[in-house]
Order: sequence, then C-alpha cells, then structure tokens
Amino acid sequence: MTWEILISLLAATVQSGTPILYATLGEIFTERSGILNLGVEGIMLVGALAGFLGAKFTGSPILGFVLGGVFGLGLAGLHGLVCIGFNGNQVVSGLALTILGTGLANYLGTPFIGQSAPGFSPMPAPILSRIPILGEIFFHHDLLIYLSYLIPPLMWLFFRYTRWGLGLRAAGEHPEAAAAAGLNIYRFRWAGVLTGGFLAGLGGAYLSLAYTHLWTSGLTAGRGWIAVALVIFAFWHPLRAVLGAYLFGGVMAFQFRLQALGADLPSSLLLMLPYGLTIIVLVLSSWRGRGDQAPAFLGINVEPSE
Amino acid sequence: MNLPAPPLVRLEEISKSFGRVRANSDITLDIRAGKIKALLGENGAGKSTLMSILAGRLQPDAGKILVEGEATRFPSAREAIQAGIGMVYQHFMLVDAMTVTENVFLGQEGGFWLRPRKMARRVSELARRYGLDIDPFARVSELSMGEKQRVEILKLLLRQSRVLIFDEPTAVLTLTETEQLFEAMKQMAGQGKAIVFISHKLPEVMSVADDIAILRNGAVVDTLEAGAVTSRADLARRMVGREVVLQVDKGTSEIGPHVLTVRGLETGALQGIDLEVRQGEILGVVGVAGNGQKPLVQTICGLTPPGRGEVEILNRPWKDFFARYPSDDTLSYIPEERISLATCPGLNLVDNFLLTTRSDFSRGPWLMGKRARGRARELIRDFNVQPSNVDALARHLSGGNLQKMVLGREFFRNPKLIVAEQPTQGLDIAATEEVWRHLLEARKRAGILLVTGDLAEALALSDRIAVMFGGRIMDVFPASDTRKVDRIGLMMAGITA
Repeated sequence: MTWEILISLLAATVQSGTPILYATLGEIFTERSGILNLGVEGIMLVGALAGFLGAKFTGSPILGFVLGGVFGLGLAGLHGLVCIGFNGNQVVSGLALTILGTGLANYLGTPFIGQSAPGFSPMPAPILSRIPILGEIFFHHDLLIYLSYLIPPLMWLFFRYTRWGLGLRAAGEHPEAAAAAGLNIYRFRWAGVLTGGFLAGLGGAYLSLAYTHLWTSGLTAGRGWIAVALVIFAFWHPLRAVLGAYLFGGVMAFQFRLQALGADLPSSLLLMLPYGLTIIVLVLSSWRGRGDQAPAFLGINVEPSE
Repeated sequence: MNLPAPPLVRLEEISKSFGRVRANSDITLDIRAGKIKALLGENGAGKSTLMSILAGRLQPDAGKILVEGEATRFPSAREAIQAGIGMVYQHFMLVDAMTVTENVFLGQEGGFWLRPRKMARRVSELARRYGLDIDPFARVSELSMGEKQRVEILKLLLRQSRVLIFDEPTAVLTLTETEQLFEAMKQMAGQGKAIVFISHKLPEVMSVADDIAILRNGAVVDTLEAGAVTSRADLARRMVGREVVLQVDKGTSEIGPHVLTVRGLETGALQGIDLEVRQGEILGVVGVAGNGQKPLVQTICGLTPPGRGEVEILNRPWKDFFARYPSDDTLSYIPEERISLATCPGLNLVDNFLLTTRSDFSRGPWLMGKRARGRARELIRDFNVQPSNVDALARHLSGGNLQKMVLGREFFRNPKLIVAEQPTQGLDIAATEEVWRHLLEARKRAGILLVTGDLAEALALSDRIAVMFGGRIMDVFPASDTRKVDRIGLMMAGITA
C-alpha cells in the first residue's frame, strides 16, 4: 500500500517539477551568457496565459504550448532591449518585467478565469512505461514531460561540446576576452536572453496546458522565483537543475497529498513549505562556498568600446 | 635587381587623442614579414595605443592602415584577426573559468562541435613546437602569470596570425621564460611571420629585435636597424631623451630581530617551506612563475590559511596575528595586482589611501576627510605621483604612478614586515628606479620579502636570495655569494647544486 503511495508521489513529483525545470533551464541559459533576468515569474505567467488562449482558440494544445514559448521570448526580448540595447540595469529591468508580466496576464486573463482549454493528457510512453517502478514514475506522463527530459542533456552538450556554447559561456565569464577573440558577444547575450525567455514561457504554458488545464489568476504562484533560486542551487549546471526542480516538485506534491489526507496542520503552513525550502537551499549552497561558480560577468553590462 | 617587397603592414600618419592627450601623432611605421620589430619607449609614449589601433581595438582619429599595400579598416578585433593580426595583451584576455584548450580555441572558426581531446592535442603540439610548457586541461584561474601568457601566445599561433604583437611580454616572465619566449619569437619570424615587440627594456630589445622604432611622447623619434645600435647607453639616450643610469647603491643597514619565520609550511602547492626575514634586510625570492611564490605570499599575507607548518609574523603565530590584525606598525602587502588587489579602480586617491590606513583618520564611525586629504596630498608629492591630484581616480593612473601611490600608502603605516610582489613589473626605467629607492629606504625600518621574477631586480636589491622550485626553497644564500648566484638559473630549473 505505502509502496504505491510512494510511487504515485514520485510520479506527481516529476509532474509538478517540470514547469520549474523548464524555467530553471531557461534562466541557466540566460545567466550563462552574463545576463541576469529576474523577470522569470512574469514571463512564465504571460507564457501560461498565451498557451492557454492559444490552445483555447486554435484547439491545438501543441500550438498553444509553442505560443507560450514565443510570448516568453517576446517578453524576454524587452529585457534584452533594455539591458543589451540600452545598457540598462539588469536587476531593475528584470523586476519591472515581473511586475509587467504579472499585471498583464492577470488583466488580460480575467475574463477567462475558471475556463478550461484543450491540454495535454498523460500518454504512457511505449516500451519505456513498462519498466518496473521507473516506468511508472517517469513514463506515465504527457508529451511535454518527455520533452523536458531531453533539454538538460542537450543543454549540457551545447555548453560543453559546441563552439556556440563556448562562446556563450565566454560572454558571461569574460566578455572582453571573448570580444578580443573576435566573437560578437552581443549576439551571444541576445541568444541567451531570448532562448531563456522561450524556455520560461514554455514552463508557464505547461502550467496551464498540462498541470491545471484551466486558467486562474496567479497561476505560477512564485514558481518563477523558485527557478531563479534554483539556478544558484544548480551552480549554473543544467543537469543539476533536474535535481533541484524535482526536489521542489516533490515538496509541492507532498504538501498536496498531506492536505488531501487531512493532516492536522494549517494548510497555509503547508503551502509555505516550498518557499521555506528555497531559503534553506540558498543558504546551504552559498554556505558550501560554491556561490563563486556564478559566471564572472553575470549581471554586468558590456559597454561598447569606442 | 629586385625591388624591396612592400611591407606586410604599413601604418601611415596615424593619430589618436584621448581628450586633450595626444597618444599618437602622425606615426608612420613599416612592419615586415620575417622580421622582429621592436617598439621602444617609456610608459605613456604611445606604443600600446598604436598597436591597439593595429589590432582593431581602437580607431585612429586620422591615418591609414595598409595591409600588403591595400588600405584597410579594422572596426573591431575580429576584422584584424581575420587579416592575420593578433596581439598578446599586457592585461591578459583570458576566461579564468575555462581550460587552457577552451581559451585557445575561443572564437576560432570551425565546425559546430568541439572535440576537447583533439583540441587539447593540437594545443600540446603547438606548445611543444615552440617550447611553451603548458597543461592543456588546466583551468586558467590556476595558472601563473607566465603560464597565462603562454596561453595568449598559443591563441595567436593557432590562428596562424601573420603579424604577432607582443605588448611588454617579458614584464611577467622570469629569465628562463624570457629566453624561451625570445626563442619562440625568432622561430616564428623565421617562418615568415612579422613580430612586433613592445618594450622599454633595452637589453631585451637589443638581443631580439631586427629593427627598432623609438617612440617618445606619441611620435616616432628614431628608427634604426639593430646592427646600427652602438651601445645600450646610446639607445637609452634616444629613448628617454636624456642620460639615465640604472644603478642603485644598496648600502648597508642594521640587522634587527626576526619579523617573519616560516617553518615547514605545507599547503596544496607548497611542500615544506622554511624561511626567515629579519628587520633591516631584503630577502629576494626568485623562481619561474608558478612554482609556489603566489601561495606563499597569500599565506604570509593572511589571504589563505597555512595548511601544515608554522608561520610567525612579528613573533606571533599566524592565527593569532590575523585574528586581531593591527593595521599599523606591522605588515604591508604590495601585491602584484595593482589595480584589483591593491587599489579600487573607481575610487579617488584619498579613498584608496584610506583603504588600508584608517586608524589615524577616523573618530568613532566618522572619517576625517580633510586630514586624510592633506596626508594623501603630502604622500603624492613625496612619492612623485602623477597626476598630482588627489581627486584623480585610481584607474586613471599609469602603472608606475599607481605603484608609487601604493608604496606611499603602505610605507606610511610604518610596517615592520613588507611583502612586495613583482613591485616593478611593467614599469619604465624612471619609475623602477624610484620604486627601488623607496624599497631600500624602507629596509632601514623593516624586513622585506621581495618576490620577483626579475633576476636583475633581485640581485640589485636583495641581501639574501631564496630560489623556489616546485613549491620548495631550493637554497637560500647571501647575494654576495657569486658562486651560488651563478647557479640560480639551474636552481630555478630544479637542479640542485
């Protein structure tokens, strides 16, 4: 009995960790290029609404999902324009983006509160789903979760084994050296910001299309901020991001179960769990003294040379 | 009869100003394939500016760049690199968090995928061919200055650059490393590359250059073939425009009590270091960069804790000393990194003065601004810092002036132990002379640990010399022991006497 509960809990862990995983991977990609984007929360919410409306009006969840990403990319483009185009302050611009995105999504989404749209449903993966235990945990999900399995290793390969990945990291670590080597760092930073926004938008769209299947205001509930924190937990490494995202997914799934079981604890306290964990995780990861693994020029604009 | 080939690169009437300062005025210069061209001049003569223009990092206000007779513009480094012009910068352009191989291949054209092992082999091959010893998988952040420079050179070698510009390349090298570099430069010239060697060190220019162009105040004042140089003094006169004699009288000083004792110090990179410094003497620590000098200095100056062994500063154990670090009358550190470790580039000279010297200039939580300004102004005058304006930002000072300001600040605290790391690196003759004089003056009151890659400097200043190799002290001996002094080169290579 407890065995089954554990497996279903772990499967739920994967599901609730996936939107955070998309957003965390996006932010890792952005930060590796040297741009700090604190607008993830806003981007996710806009992505969620865009995905929801796209699916609702076209009837195609896949189109909706892509649309979520595209709107995320567009919003991130605003951040790129401010920070790369006009050398604006990255922190301020990111915070403004969160406020803008949250406000925009809540305002435009109000008429649709409580409505549902066609979304993604679980479809067990052929063969893989029959693996005992692991199959049940990882391969009884929807398409978007399978897609999310591919991104971390691909991103890792990109950073480590491709020329563009090398250039992108150099733009975040020492843009002047990259420029001296003849690279166009602005192009790499743009690529970092836009790709990151696209992934965060996908994470948002996952929420409305596969996680809840309906629109409510404040759907992301701080997941964007958790993603920003998880980047530090992951030491800017895409594979470690999986661990972090599922850890948080697990805590979220766990507190839901606990509430459903009617645990004798105030529900607001339970709801706080993931955010409390964020603080603990951040303290622990800086305490281990590995905070210095951040890209050296993270958050610092590069002035065009004369 | 054949006509002389057109120069590979010709700079024609190049001018460049920064605000009201004319860094280059109407400079014309030919750079020929297969030749080593030396640009000789003091700091601020405009050598680096001129070469930054050639490398596409700066745009000239006027003038032309001709590559093989054709007028070319380099809007950025990328175009210059494509035209085969590469530069080894004085301040390295390396990504610390990446490996040697990744840095060498950064920005290289090629396929989408990287092949780390194949790339590393390529780096090793190049390194071996030119005698540049390097581990292709090492992270740049773990390398010494000398090793970092080899990475910079490898970058150019891999790019098959036709013109290689070296901006003060020997400033960070030891004697052996310098010889290796010159060997590599000659080999590259032999293979038809044009080498430009920016320097203010006369013996080096004389030993390696084919042609010499002398810059003074932003203009070429002389061009001559190396064969036409009659003597070092002649060259010096042309460069400075007046007679210079680079010699210091060490004099003698009273030897006092121990100020530093290190016994059996072991950390990751150090393998049992024993040394002592007494008041009134200069102990010169020499060695090839990367043989443990940096960790030794960092431990003595409290930046990293000692692993095993004992470090006693002014007769107090390391832990005790740095737990309650009294700011005056004790330890002064003059680091190699003038701009990032010794000073804050964006603060003015008064604030930089107060960085390490606060005790006399504060009351409760308040800084006594006027008093500090007054003191800073006196120091700037005493140590001949230019511009003599306390409101100037540290980053606007040249290397030599910044170093004098750091010396002034540190000596004001009346230290008993001074750790000076590469104190004259990158400085011109006049500034070097001043720094040496100040160090010898300070010796009367303090013990000095002088860590330097410049053997001439160590011999000119030290009372005793310690040679480091592989995290050990090979030998310690008086600088007057000529037999041992002759063997320093061998000891630096790890060969015991």
